[in-house]
Amino acid sequence: MTESSQEEILELIWTIDEEKGEVERDSLIKKIRLPSAEQILNTLIHEEYVTISDSKVALTKKGLADARVIIRRHRLAERLLHDVLDVKEDAMDSSACKFEHILDEEVTASICTLLGHPVTCPHGKAIPPGECCEKANKEIRPVVMPLSDLKSGDEAKIAYIVTKYHGRLDRLSSMGLLPGVQIHLHQRQPTYVIQMGETQIALDTAIARDIYVRLL
Amino acid sequence: MPVSEMNRYKVALVGNPNVGKSVIFGLLTGKYVTVSNYPGTTVEVSRGVCNGLDGGVEVVDTPGANSLIPLSEDESVARDMLLEECKKHVVQVVDAKNLRRGLLITTQLAEMGLPVVITLNMWDELLDRGMNIDVNVLQEKLRLPIIKTIATHRVGVSALFSSIPNAKVPNLYVDYGNFIEEGISKIEKILQGNTTVNERALAIMLLSGDSALEEKLRKKLSDHALDEVQSIRNNIQAHFGSPLSYVINIKRANYVDAVVEAVTSNLKKEKETHPVLRKIFFYFLMPAASFFMGYKLMALLMYLISSRLPPGSVFASLLPFVVGGISSIWFSLHLYVKEYKAKSTIAGILGSITMHPVAAFPLLVIILWTVYKLVGEFGAGTCVEFFEEKVFGRSLIPSGGFDVSIYIPFVQKSYVVTHVNFQGFNYYLGLLAQKLVDKDNIIFELFLNEQSGLIRVGLTYAIAIVFPIVGFFFLAFGIMEDSGYLPRLAVMVDKIFKRIGLNGKAVLPMVLGLGCDTMATLTTRILNTKKERIIATLLLALAIPCSAQLGVISSVLGRVSGIYFAIYVFVICTQLLLVGYLSSKVLPGAPSDFLMEIPPFRMPKLSNIFIKTFYRIHWFLKEAVPLFMLGTLALFVATKAGLLSFVERMGAPITRNFLGLPEETTHGFILGFLRRDYGAVSIFKTLEEKGGSAGIDPKQLLVSLVVITLFIPCLANFLVMIKEQGAKNAFLMFAFIFPYSVLVGGILRVILQQFS
Repeated sequence: MTESSQEEILELIWTIDEEKGEVERDSLIKKIRLPSAEQILNTLIHEEYVTISDSKVALTKKGLADARVIIRRHRLAERLLHDVLDVKEDAMDSSACKFEHILDEEVTASICTLLGHPVTCPHGKAIPPGECCEKANKEIRPVVMPLSDLKSGDEAKIAYIVTKYHGRLDRLSSMGLLPGVQIHLHQRQPTYVIQMGETQIALDTAIARDIYVRLL
Repeated sequence: MPVSEMNRYKVALVGNPNVGKSVIFGLLTGKYVTVSNYPGTTVEVSRGVCNGLDGGVEVVDTPGANSLIPLSEDESVARDMLLEECKKHVVQVVDAKNLRRGLLITTQLAEMGLPVVITLNMWDELLDRGMNIDVNVLQEKLRLPIIKTIATHRVGVSALFSSIPNAKVPNLYVDYGNFIEEGISKIEKILQGNTTVNERALAIMLLSGDSALEEKLRKKLSDHALDEVQSIRNNIQAHFGSPLSYVINIKRANYVDAVVEAVTSNLKKEKETHPVLRKIFFYFLMPAASFFMGYKLMALLMYLISSRLPPGSVFASLLPFVVGGISSIWFSLHLYVKEYKAKSTIAGILGSITMHPVAAFPLLVIILWTVYKLVGEFGAGTCVEFFEEKVFGRSLIPSGGFDVSIYIPFVQKSYVVTHVNFQGFNYYLGLLAQKLVDKDNIIFELFLNEQSGLIRVGLTYAIAIVFPIVGFFFLAFGIMEDSGYLPRLAVMVDKIFKRIGLNGKAVLPMVLGLGCDTMATLTTRILNTKKERIIATLLLALAIPCSAQLGVISSVLGRVSGIYFAIYVFVICTQLLLVGYLSSKVLPGAPSDFLMEIPPFRMPKLSNIFIKTFYRIHWFLKEAVPLFMLGTLALFVATKAGLLSFVERMGAPITRNFLGLPEETTHGFILGFLRRDYGAVSIFKTLEEKGGSAGIDPKQLLVSLVVITLFIPCLANFLVMIKEQGAKNAFLMFAFIFPYSVLVGGILRVILQQFS
């Protein structure tokens, strides 16, 4: 297994690649901000985590698998801190960085289950799914879950909204359906009807799946 | 003191959907606009003048919007009006019990820098729900006049009146955080001097990605400036994981939440229904109503198979009672367990039942049956017959007068009070006309001809047939609208409508289409996407019979046999679903979201329903009567010029060989383009004449009525289609509907022949 500084670099390569689609060697070295950056990178190349061609850095299959695990832990940690522990944004980042090195596979899976197998981090970036997500057991009710999994009569607070569609997000938010708002699920059939304050709102399944709530 | 031109301002009514803007508009201007308990009733700006204010100012009513960053066509109307270049005072109508959602808009008005007066409307409903708002604190915070109103009861309107001149810019300022604020000030510099409202508001809209606004600004700003805006937006977006518009909305909501928190309090004393009333409701009304529901439902089912049932069977006569009993027990127990202890109000319970996953559907059938009884049987049957035969009558044969009688229910007896010896308007007119000209004279024929006289046919049909049917339909529709039943219907049909490329929201145009397709085509604007609007317009034109037509059809078919009426409904519904499904596959575009506010179930106010019905009928008559006259005139000319018989000869082979109908019915199909019901009546008359003493052939009747229902829309509807969808789309729809309706008729004929 890699050391934590190596883990940080793998994580960095993943993030840059996710944002820009490619990783320049020189800009990577600059971003590492460690005196031994070159050296660690060479170790990674030597141990076949990373390859370099045309001064572009890429993860090998082995490196990719490791980076994926680290990213997953980091972003799950962020979700945990943000949604459940209600930690402020600045503190969240630094704590999540420490978390990612100490979590083992089992604890990660438990956190993931607890959070209801979230798909994105609080910044909106994708969380790579783990084994537990695929096996997600519907019978155990996680703390945070899509609105579509609530039973009618449940009270819940909106935790976050994840959707591919801008328009949907705008429509929900202009109606006042935003994180932190308390809702009551009135009925599930024929369509979902929720009560928010004194307003009753009908919405269809596709939208209900995008609204993640914390059961009260 | 006269107000100088400099001080002239307009009053704009703005607010969330269904908060009562139109009621307040009516009170300020004395002008009526349709008011209902359904979000999206107003789709266009209505203008009026408020005379009491500063020597008369213009008042503008706008469609409701949840945000001034528009998401649909009707929402953009409000925003565009606010951006117009002129001085204006905004009256923001807020639903008092939903203060938070109202203030979300107020922050946007503050950003625009417009002077605002807020009315906290539906104040009574706020108190009923055990809540309170500290108006003084809110007023101090916002530094503008805030008026409590109950608009439907005219409470607080005069205070609102006198406060309008004192409108102030709301003292609200949302700080969007460093990144966004920096972007706002950069864009403000680019916009400088090119805007009618504060630059800050437009900058925020642009950051939210408002493409409609960008288009508007293209005229004033250089491409370079717009590119710069784009790059500023992209730079800021890079700092956030979620879309900027969402980030902005969250910041705004957090700000508003703090304000709302400070001014609202809970009295913890929710108004409850009186205990005696509750007992009556739970122990008597509910069991009785649900018994009736079960009984009627079974009776309706048995009516369909009545020809298969052995007459006089004890089992058959007991069955409805058994089903009624089961329904009564089930409902009462269910409600008692769930609601009695929960202390819900009766309106609340009704609101829930009407969208209950199981109970709502039998309820819907019963409501449809009631509407049919009112519109189809009483309106289209009794009233039409009275108006057509007795009041108008024929031009050459006296009607024989009618009896005024008192009908005593349950005993089924009626006592004749007196006989009125009135032979019909047309008869007296005919007598009068014959004094001047001979009855074969062209002038006499033009007005009083039995087949195409302007008065004998055009005016008589418009008033005697269409007027009672449409009138009763609008009455029923008004009750459904104002009680809040319609949006609940949207909840129920959403899943089915999804299959045909629409969503639950489309229930409003579709149900309104059962009244008048022309009016309904206009309301398709409340739908979110172009695709939905096209599908809804097509389906309205194709498969939704208007009340006039439906009235004629149901009374005609109902007289023949229940099973034929059921087949008719089945065929039309299948076509609706089939064509909807296919067009949703063919037309490009993603399905749109169903996200709709459900207004509370309310006891409809009778006066409002009557006024609304009156205005709708007024609109209809203004629209329909000239078209009837025009149509009849065209028919008259076509008959005299021999054109009609030419078209009939052209169409005859199809009518005769493919549809298996007498050639003369072609005439009716052509009339259908002028008014659909007109065609249906004409076909019925033709078939009746052809059938002679043997009576009408029900299969022929069914085929012809299916074809005329699916057939091309009436002229008025077609003109509105061109206006809303453009000539190209309208003609494409026309070109599809015409052959398609004939094809369906032909197929139906073949199938019916197989079963005879």
